Amino acid sequence: MSQPDASILKEKILNMATIRLLVNGTSYEKEMDPGIPLLWALRDILGLTGTKFGCGIAQCGACTVLIEGKAVRSCSITSESATGKDIQTIEGVEATPYRSLQQAWIEEQVPQCGYCQSGQIMNAIGLLKSNPQPTDEEILSAMAGNICRCGTYPRILKAIKSILDNPSKSNNI
Amino acid sequence: MNSRRDFLKTTTLAGGGLVLGLNFLQSCVSEVVSMPAHVIPLVGLQNGFEAEGAFPITDFLQIRPDGSVFLSLTKYEMGQGVSTGLTSILAEELEADWEKINVRYIKSSVSKSDATGGSTSTLQHWDLLRKAGAYAKQLLIEAAAREWSVFKDECYAEKNYVYQHGSDVRLEYGQLAGKVVVPVNYRELFETVPLKYRSKFKLIGRSLKSKIVPDIVVGRHPYAIDLRLPDMKYAAVLRCPVFKGRLLSFDASEALKISGVEKVVKIDGVTLDPVSHIRDGVAVIANSTWAAFQGKLAVRAEWDLGDNAKVEHEEFVADCLQRLDSDEGREILRIGRKVKESEMDEVISYTYEFPYQHHACMEPLNATSHFKGESCEMWVGTQSADKIAANIEKHLGIRKENIKINCYPSGGGFGLRYSSEYALESMLVSKAAGGDLVKMCYSREDDIKFDYLNPFELNRHTMGIQNGKAVSWDFKNVMANWGGNLGWMYYNIPNRSATQVTVDGFTHVGAWRSVMANAEGFSTECFIDEVAHKLNRDPLEFRLSLLPRGNMVDFNHSYQCNINRLRGALELVARKAKWGKQMPERHGQGVAVYPYMHGNGYGAVVAEVSAVNNEIKVNKITASIDCGLVINPDQVRQQMEGGIIWALSAILYGGTEYVNGVVQRSNFHDNPVLRINEIPEIDVHVCENDESQPWGVGEIGGPPCYAAVCNAIFAATGRRIRKLPISKTLSANI
Ligand code: FES
Ligand code: FES
Repeated sequence: MSQPDASILKEKILNMATIRLLVNGTSYEKEMDPGIPLLWALRDILGLTGTKFGCGIAQCGACTVLIEGKAVRSCSITSESATGKDIQTIEGVEATPYRSLQQAWIEEQVPQCGYCQSGQIMNAIGLLKSNPQPTDEEILSAMAGNICRCGTYPRILKAIKSILDNPSKSNNI
Repeated sequence: MNSRRDFLKTTTLAGGGLVLGLNFLQSCVSEVVSMPAHVIPLVGLQNGFEAEGAFPITDFLQIRPDGSVFLSLTKYEMGQGVSTGLTSILAEELEADWEKINVRYIKSSVSKSDATGGSTSTLQHWDLLRKAGAYAKQLLIEAAAREWSVFKDECYAEKNYVYQHGSDVRLEYGQLAGKVVVPVNYRELFETVPLKYRSKFKLIGRSLKSKIVPDIVVGRHPYAIDLRLPDMKYAAVLRCPVFKGRLLSFDASEALKISGVEKVVKIDGVTLDPVSHIRDGVAVIANSTWAAFQGKLAVRAEWDLGDNAKVEHEEFVADCLQRLDSDEGREILRIGRKVKESEMDEVISYTYEFPYQHHACMEPLNATSHFKGESCEMWVGTQSADKIAANIEKHLGIRKENIKINCYPSGGGFGLRYSSEYALESMLVSKAAGGDLVKMCYSREDDIKFDYLNPFELNRHTMGIQNGKAVSWDFKNVMANWGGNLGWMYYNIPNRSATQVTVDGFTHVGAWRSVMANAEGFSTECFIDEVAHKLNRDPLEFRLSLLPRGNMVDFNHSYQCNINRLRGALELVARKAKWGKQMPERHGQGVAVYPYMHGNGYGAVVAEVSAVNNEIKVNKITASIDCGLVINPDQVRQQMEGGIIWALSAILYGGTEYVNGVVQRSNFHDNPVLRINEIPEIDVHVCENDESQPWGVGEIGGPPCYAAVCNAIFAATGRRIRKLPISKTLSANI
């Protein structure tokens, strides 16, 4: 078994920094490697595991969060670059008007295994924030970055549309 | 812990009251995965955590003083819906209030009945769960009768209450649970407890909403990958790129410079059986998953790649073809006699290729292990904890009673998590790290490259024709590393045979949603379509002519193939899809039907395809399923949608490539799966039937889908597809 020697450890300490992350309105200050992707800072350092790891290379959307209201793949940005910005994750959605989207997900019985769904919901919120009345085409192209291996796509489309079709729900947003 | 237990046991509660333990699955004591309670529950459901003051009516069923009912799942949830389907069966007989039902995930399961696969969960536990619910209800009624000093026949149960006939007097289950008493002859009473008539069902047959979805949409459904424990380390493993290759040496100096990396240790591979093997590797132990991944990339290793590095795909396929031509093979089905070629006017024979396939479950493989020498503990999403425990016992010498496995719901299983290698591997990592508590996580690249692939198959079908009628049908299959061939030859041709050959492929294989029914459904239903066209018959009419009503066909399987049900699915889909309707130029319809005997369910699909501007597009899938008595119609439709999309991914993009024994795909850019903007309209119909029990659902949708799409491509283009994925068959000029 190889053990790190002292000189290596010194070098590592240089790689650490205090990073301030503002997630769902709470400010967290933690020592971390500033180059760690936001995804892993959220999951392994802050313990916010609702944001999922699917591919690590911006291909699947499982890690989607909102930064300053825009959908972003948290696996592909460093925590340093997210410092001080307004980050929203699935854990914070219930406290926002977008809880109606979560309700729509329940209403249409979208999830199967559920693993991709945090990312699906966050990406859908990002879409509705930038385009509150998307057409079917716009929904499909905006959601195409989010993979669901269980095949829940028909219901994702329905759930998003149900919000649009229901003025009382969409007005809340 | 895994000792065989009584169905019932009595326990004394701390408060002195006698309660009943009804251990209806002979499994071990179940505990609850501890997870944080919702801060703001969305709809008030809180699955999967323990509460004070719950009365264990059974080890699997708890009723709390507030009347909420918790059922421990006896099969693993991986998205197929057991948390809702199985609980609704119990709740039906218990006369529970559905709103008060919650799910507990089994914490420790080493039992005889846990293996989850083959679309069998519901059919295996249907009877047991009904009896458990009915018996628990009876005990609650008896408790109420004692309270009121009346005969139990004067009482009845409804929606979590026991009532006295003809009066408003009632007691809630939560008030009664602590007062239940076990009779001496409980075994007999359990077995003979009266069950409800089908016509009295209130929950079964309704599209009740999923019990786990409220937790999922707030990001709090527990997956093993989300586990966080005090002192837990994170691990990533650099594995030998070739199956069964060996590690010669490694250099960890660069890896150890990465911040967060703590240790780098060697993993000695383990051969589990001739076809499954944990690879030699180097594990990086770190303080975050990310640091472990980075460390792994920095480890340099030298390997002896071994013989599997010499397997070339083209040569492998040529060898398979040769063996298809040879006389070798194990006969697994014989109906009628062997027909001589001289008796036939014409012989129609085609060969179909179904490739290796990747799972790519959205939750990458992971497991957390704590090796403690004489004992160990693991946290894992699995389809079979039994298998994991058996392998730990065999390869690490820890006795089963000292193995604790905490089972989590999975972010997709699809057969991958039926294999136990990744779980055992994580225990090897913990051991090699000197007993650290370690969460080992596959990167997506690891998950694709070291996937236990669906076995490659070549299928050849040969039909002998005499006076325009089929007289013989022979099927031969060559399959990589897996024995077993289904031989589900349901068309009523007087002489039928199925033969099987297993060959050595380049890698490890495993179960893949619908298993061999994928390849064989594809080949059988493409072939019958080809024969119909050769004989100038309509594909639907030709199939129906070979499916005589009332026939039951024996494939040496646990269930006989019920031709009425198969036919029913086919007729329903044809009607719903308007089979034979006028299609525009370069558009076509294709049909297929297939039984899935492991779950005794039957599915049929009509696909509508267009081939314009050199692009094949699947525009619509109409599907039907006969899954016996329907527990939850919406969940059946959901599973069909999922199975169809699964098959469409394989049709369009499936397969894999390998060079010198190394899988070339690595992530979703080179292992594409269907995305939301690529899906057709999907229309699912569930057959009405009078089966007295539920049958399988989860693996019925895929198998008929392959051939329906390929047959539709033929109808649109005149081109036959005998090899998947179609991207490798149809490149240009379609
Ligand atoms: S994990 Fe970030 S896009 Fe897949
Ligand atoms: S619900 Fe399972 S991956 Fe989307």
